[in-house]
Amino acid sequence: MAEPMELLCWGGDWDLPSVHTDSLIVLAYAKFSDAKLAVKSIDWTWRTITASVPQLHYEGSAVTEPTQILNFLRKQRFNADYELTAKQGADTMAYIALLEEKLRPALLHTFWVDAENYANLTRPWFTSHSPFPLNFFVPGRQASLALSRILLTKAESPLLNITEVEGKIYSEAKECLNLLSHRLGNFHFFFGDTPTSLDAFVFGHIAPLIKAPLPSGQLQKHLNQLDNLCQFCNTILKNYFTDASAEKRTDCKYTVLINPEKNIVLMDDNLRSSPQHRPHRHESKPLALAGERNSTPPS
Amino acid sequence: MSLAAEAFVSQIAAAEPWPEKATLYQPLKEDQILLSDSASSLAVQTFLRMCGLPVQVSCCANAEYMSPSGKVPFIHVGNQVVSELGPIVQYIKAKGHSLSDGLDDVQRAEMKAYMELVNNMLLTAELYIQWCDDYTATEISRPRYSSPYSWPLNHILAYQKQWEVRRKMNAIGWSGKSLEQVYEDVSQCCQALSQRLGTQPYFFNKQPTELDALVFGHLFTILTTQLTNDELAEKVKSYTNLLSFCHHSKTSK
Repeated sequence: MAEPMELLCWGGDWDLPSVHTDSLIVLAYAKFSDAKLAVKSIDWTWRTITASVPQLHYEGSAVTEPTQILNFLRKQRFNADYELTAKQGADTMAYIALLEEKLRPALLHTFWVDAENYANLTRPWFTSHSPFPLNFFVPGRQASLALSRILLTKAESPLLNITEVEGKIYSEAKECLNLLSHRLGNFHFFFGDTPTSLDAFVFGHIAPLIKAPLPSGQLQKHLNQLDNLCQFCNTILKNYFTDASAEKRTDCKYTVLINPEKNIVLMDDNLRSSPQHRPHRHESKPLALAGERNSTPPS
Repeated sequence: MSLAAEAFVSQIAAAEPWPEKATLYQPLKEDQILLSDSASSLAVQTFLRMCGLPVQVSCCANAEYMSPSGKVPFIHVGNQVVSELGPIVQYIKAKGHSLSDGLDDVQRAEMKAYMELVNNMLLTAELYIQWCDDYTATEISRPRYSSPYSWPLNHILAYQKQWEVRRKMNAIGWSGKSLEQVYEDVSQCCQALSQRLGTQPYFFNKQPTELDALVFGHLFTILTTQLTNDELAEKVKSYTNLLSFCHHSKTSK
């Protein structure tokens, strides 16, 4: 049997499988096209500075960049765009270009250049996920790459100062989000009922923006007002990435109850606090299974 | 420009009608202008012609330095100067002329997405071929770019421009691409445009929009400019409906 494909990417946090946009794009596409990937996070390894992430390893060859990885997966017959018409395929390319030109600079600015966000969220996260002594270099290097990309592509020669470019990139990003919201409308995904590569790209870009606890996020506020995009993101997380969030529940406290019909009911914290499942004292007795779970008396 | 300045300019723009003596500035046509600048300039000229606004084309060696954003072409209307197709479209919209009013929100989103596709892929590929491919840069781009200037300024300016463009390519991740990959990207972009155009005369409804002007500007320039080899033109020629689109747009003006 052929060895599985291995994906190197940044780790996850804030309910997301990964905090890095490009890694999220590849992870989402793999879920949509049912490609089995062995996901290896580069956190706390030297690869945080040596590898360009995301990176797909298969049979000795390595593929980088989300577009290249998606092409590679398509060639391996993991194709989520199989049912698109030619025009929809063309629209996909166009919308991806729109995301890259209009939304990506503002995302880079929000996470890496905005002083408050960088100092309070991004730098601590990346510092805590890099090994010593790389934790001194990794965030700074990413931040300077982000700044130079914004200045070189968006700043025209008299505007070499970042503050003057900020207004322009944020207004373009808000317009881009509005355009995406218009295009999505009331549908679940951009092309009908099944997700495609465009959905993966949009998800990868907006999910960190929705989920990250940003101290100063004017773009985040704008995005939260676009309900259909937030709904889109949560739908994908719920339907395709619930394994990631379910794994986190292994150390909950459980209470084991037996109701009069002799059915065993396992009650965890969430269930305990909901009013309709509150057990009545005369109907059930608590039972503790030896050594396996913590038990508490019924509330 | 900051947002407040933009709003101010739109207000001034709305106040006056289009004057008789509007001028469009671009580098010298015969000797200096390069493929990417020529494409952008033709796109703007086509857009103005589609709106029915007369403009005189003036060729100056220092057009790039006169421009407020450093990019050509730019138009001088009344006492305002606006450069690049995007801001020019907004400026003309403030004056009351617009080609895309008949589009609904979804179509406008598509139009903007396709314009970004052309800018992202075609324009970047043109810049790459001109400045990052050593052979083309040495034979065509550097001599042409610096032709109005004398030694040693011509060398300095040419290498400075090349360094700037290479830095930009590095920042967006195109410096690792080979020439074949760039041609492949151009081909994919043309395929997307060809599929979107289908058999219609224009991209949206029966009326031309700024997207048609932009696509015509780039494709016509690619087809008619002589580079070191014909591969770029061949990629475009393989899509017949794009060829007939160019022909139709050229003859209907």
